[in-house]
Amino acid sequence: MSDVHLTIDGAAVSVPAGTTIFDAARMHGIPIPTLCHQQNETPVGVCRVCVVEAGGRVLSAACVRQAEDKMVVTTNSEKVTRARRTLIELLMADHPSPCARQRQSNDCELETLARLEGITQPRFPRRLSPRGQDNSSLVIAVDHEACILCDRCIRGCDEIRHNDVLGRRGKGFWAGIAFDYNLPMGNSSCVSCGECMVSCPTGALTNKSVVKTVLPGEPVDVEELQQLSYFQKVSGTFLELNKNAVVRRHYRKGEIVCREGEYGSTAFYILEGQAQVFLATPLAHVQTQGGATGFFSKLTSRLAGRQQERREEEGARRSIPIDAPVDLPYDNPVATLGPGDLFGEMTCMSLYPRSATVRAATDCVMFEMLRNVLDIIQRNKTLKAQLDANYRKRALDDHLRSVPMFASLTPEFIDVLRNKVELVRHTKGDVICRQGDIADSFYLVRLGFVKVSEPHPGGELVLAYLGRGGYFGEIGLLGEGRRTATCTALDHVELVRIHAEEFHQMVEQFPDVRQNLERLAYERTEQNRQRLATATSMPLDDFLTQGLMEAQSLLVMDLERCTRCDACVRACADAHEGVTRLVREGQRFDKYLVATSCRHCRDPLCMVGCPVGSIRRRNSLEVIIENWCIGCGLCAKNCPYGNINLHPFNVLEDDPANPGRQIAVVKQKATSCDLCTEHAEPTCVYACPHDACHRVDPNEFFRWLGTPLETETRRSLT
Amino acid sequence: MLFDDLRAIQEQYGYLPGEQLEALSKRTEVPLYRIHGVADFYPHFHLAPPPKVTLRVCADMSCHLCGADDLRVGLKQRFQGMSESDLKIGEVSCLGQCDGGPAVSINDHIYRNVTPAQAEALVLTALGGSSLPHMPADARVNGLASDPYHDAERYGAVRKVVQTRDWDGVIAQLKASGLSGLGGAGFPTGIKWEAVRKAPGPEKYVVCNADESEPGTIKDRFIMQNLPHLVIEGMILAGLVTGAQKGILYLRHEYEGPEHVLREEIDRCYQEGLLGSSVAGSGLAFDLELFISPGGYICGEESALIEAIEGKRAEPRNKPPFPVTHGVFNKPTALNNVETFANVPQILVNGVDWYKAQGQGGAAGLKFVGISGDVRNPGIFEIPMGLPMSEVIFNLAGGITGGRKLKAFAPSGPSSGYLPASMAEVRLDFKSLAAAGSMLGSGAIVICAEGRCMLDMALNAVKFFRNESCGKCVPCRMGSQKLVDILTGWTQGKGSAADLPMIEDITEALKLASICGLGQFAHAPLSSVMQHFRPEIESHIYDKRCPEGVCPMHPERAL
Repeated sequence: MSDVHLTIDGAAVSVPAGTTIFDAARMHGIPIPTLCHQQNETPVGVCRVCVVEAGGRVLSAACVRQAEDKMVVTTNSEKVTRARRTLIELLMADHPSPCARQRQSNDCELETLARLEGITQPRFPRRLSPRGQDNSSLVIAVDHEACILCDRCIRGCDEIRHNDVLGRRGKGFWAGIAFDYNLPMGNSSCVSCGECMVSCPTGALTNKSVVKTVLPGEPVDVEELQQLSYFQKVSGTFLELNKNAVVRRHYRKGEIVCREGEYGSTAFYILEGQAQVFLATPLAHVQTQGGATGFFSKLTSRLAGRQQERREEEGARRSIPIDAPVDLPYDNPVATLGPGDLFGEMTCMSLYPRSATVRAATDCVMFEMLRNVLDIIQRNKTLKAQLDANYRKRALDDHLRSVPMFASLTPEFIDVLRNKVELVRHTKGDVICRQGDIADSFYLVRLGFVKVSEPHPGGELVLAYLGRGGYFGEIGLLGEGRRTATCTALDHVELVRIHAEEFHQMVEQFPDVRQNLERLAYERTEQNRQRLATATSMPLDDFLTQGLMEAQSLLVMDLERCTRCDACVRACADAHEGVTRLVREGQRFDKYLVATSCRHCRDPLCMVGCPVGSIRRRNSLEVIIENWCIGCGLCAKNCPYGNINLHPFNVLEDDPANPGRQIAVVKQKATSCDLCTEHAEPTCVYACPHDACHRVDPNEFFRWLGTPLETETRRSLT
Repeated sequence: MLFDDLRAIQEQYGYLPGEQLEALSKRTEVPLYRIHGVADFYPHFHLAPPPKVTLRVCADMSCHLCGADDLRVGLKQRFQGMSESDLKIGEVSCLGQCDGGPAVSINDHIYRNVTPAQAEALVLTALGGSSLPHMPADARVNGLASDPYHDAERYGAVRKVVQTRDWDGVIAQLKASGLSGLGGAGFPTGIKWEAVRKAPGPEKYVVCNADESEPGTIKDRFIMQNLPHLVIEGMILAGLVTGAQKGILYLRHEYEGPEHVLREEIDRCYQEGLLGSSVAGSGLAFDLELFISPGGYICGEESALIEAIEGKRAEPRNKPPFPVTHGVFNKPTALNNVETFANVPQILVNGVDWYKAQGQGGAAGLKFVGISGDVRNPGIFEIPMGLPMSEVIFNLAGGITGGRKLKAFAPSGPSSGYLPASMAEVRLDFKSLAAAGSMLGSGAIVICAEGRCMLDMALNAVKFFRNESCGKCVPCRMGSQKLVDILTGWTQGKGSAADLPMIEDITEALKLASICGLGQFAHAPLSSVMQHFRPEIESHIYDKRCPEGVCPMHPERAL
């Protein structure tokens, strides 16, 4: 671009065309005072403190006016200095001096300028109508009295952070700043990122200093953090405010950093050293055969290894999804993380239990951080780019290969995808795609949970919950080009987005992938169709209020036949080491009791949040708990019907205090009704001497409700 | 379009409920802060449920002279004790009915020449739930010299120019005629159109500024009512000459009469093929739409008007760049006043020589002026450019009411400031008024008879600017309020010598540092009375005495 030549205060100056007078002057050592202009924001020219003579009837704001050829600029004439002084004095007349910023850190920019101008007692009459304070935010104090409407906070919020919360309200002398539709800051959609407070030149937006987070570990200096590339763009005020929310931790070789199944709220970033990620819980099912009864059964419960596993599809899954940039291979569930890796994001962002145990493989240095810090650095483009690059480089292969239907993709094609896929993130509640939208991409879930649903009169119909390793979008891409369902982020969700072009390239190049996807698309469509048919043919309010619409198999007892002999409960306990998986209590419908036992819901809430994805569905509609369950208990908490139990057992584990030795630890695994698949019929049903206990399809059950169940129409799902 | 969405919500709920704004934000993906910022900026939108009856009395110059204050205070007394949810009585900025003051708006119905008894009856009607009567439409005026067609076929200039396609010829004629912007700024129209014509890019706009809102300005209302075809023809010509295919006529929302007339005329033009995909069979497209302003004097500032068209808060832009290159959606835009557009067909049909011969004293063309205040016959007159002011006041407008003498006149509302009676021979043209330290502006003549206090008049005018400031820049937002505070003090006997350097400082800052004309001229009414009526003002400051007995001077003692 060509240069323009102008004169500023008598000095000849050359700058590239498009440079503002403000920048041109600054480049040549002539500072122009300003209040509303910040280098990282688009100039708006509203405070007018930077006005200069640049030819013309009136003065020009140097921050917005571009330098022109042969322009003669004067920054310090009597005209200019008088106008500037008046503007500062006008602002000072209504300024609550010393304002909160001046009191806190002695750096109110308006008061500093006033001091330089020698304005101590503004002559103008003071504003009479109060503008008020807003103390609703926990973090930021708002004093509208000190606001000079420079729009710096507004640009910080909307332009820099894209949070889109702050704007101007009112007009003229009654104008002010407003959050959303003029809500108190604490009630608005503000995420307290602190950008407005950092941008504010006065005491209108200041830090309340109430964040007293203390993490154990070595505090880190703000200066030191800011030297690291990924903290560079984070405002110093924010880091200062959250001083103890990020700490340095040193781990000796062999030390445990975090343990699977534990609840936590932090994420870790590795600065130095290597760490090993593994599942400490043996990969095995709680084996549920045998006839022991009573308390001792718990002590004798044992785990069945893979070889004894009866479920055939098991081998199809090749890796276990965890909360780190790697997945664990099923056969040898261990992986290594190194400098630059971040793990524990899901725990930190959505408070899920830890999905794996991490142990220092060498001496390690890590940053441990709380959610507010992670949240703000995730907005940092540098760090995000680095994390994304790690993911592309290391985990995309595993991720794709962990999904059986992509197993045949060649390394070459994965290389193509590596550079083409987009990594996108969504926050809780975001709609990722809407039914009817144009289908433009296919998504793999990398982190978090996605709800797939259809809008439906009277509410939405949930079709599925997808967690890490799940994928969606193929129906639209393979079919009519429109989204058939709406997908919503249930928590902090990160997705791998494969655009239509690459998707089509993939299905053309790999016919078996296409075949698999088409079969799956067909199955999913078919299931959805059936679900919708059910939903529309049922008396919805009954179903919805009891949550029974989602059930696929109910254990019901005919109370007219039932003598309360408890044979069913005992039989269940006998079949499951003395711990029954059924409770003879629950909702009554007419003469039938719906017992407390897994209903194999269509909409299995229990699956949301499983940190390792072990509670899931395979290709049938049956809900099962895979053998890599780490016993965190989240599914049991999530089941609204109390149908999942935790089953304790002893295992030997490495003793962290004495490396090389093992100690006995009580571990847990989740269990739920498995429909006694090894028998011809559920043992409870088989054991009932009065023919009162049945496993039924709820649709039909409710259709028949009111008329006695006829033997020929009874149906058990098994 | 955000304004349409907001209007639809307001239509349904009577105001803009927060949850509806939230829903709108979700639906349109426009951030909530932007929707709220816009809704809170324009007087047309209400963020809280309005009372059953809202009565607002125009507070500005002409209505002020016609007893608006007494009317408002009287009505407040009459309806004292009535709950705020039933009736709210307040002030409103100029409604554009200056020749019929005092003007009143009741639930957005506008009435002229309102007496206390009429206002009371209207309030009772509205409180009783009955529908309010509509003000009768203005009578059409025929035989105006500005209409080059009379009985001949209209749109002759367009039909002719699409034959010759001599666009440069049109620009040359405009330049030769000396036609300058008649909205107030007086920028040469030929040069403006040429700049838009030369600006690169396929997408350009023609915008007509019909947002006249300056107290005293009523001439565009008259032109749109009586010569709508000239306004539209001027816009079509601007489109053809500059290459713009889209025209927007930005009309203030209070002008329901002109809106009706313009809609009919636009429909007729579409039917006759003068608007649309092929203007008069030329193969050149030009579409024209009406844009109804959500209100506010600031919308008449050209760049604020453009921001409003874009659905934003009407805050003026920093200039340069100017609208000729960066106008609507940053595209080249020819933006002119109603009267300027109406002048173009006159020049093209009757010729430059005819046009020049219409003026007096070296000025060219005809001019519409509005005159209001203390005159017997307020209204709109078509005059030769350059006619002496005294002719307008004493001949056309029938002289001063009540047999009084002329004390002062504002040649064009508050922005022009006040000139003393001794200057009544000044000619009404750009040069003469500029030489007199004032301006031709929009031809909004406001007359003050003897007995009027010029400090009171200056305070009234400065209040108008304070009320209508958008608040974007510091000098205007803060300066206008501080002027109001200081002048109010003077009218209450609280003035001091120390105030004088203060108002000089504020005046300089307003004049030099404001972003737009509103702020740059907000000092004018005060500066002019300080210049021409200084002893009267100083009497307030030093003697604590209002020579005309208008100002309260000792309000606390009066209480």
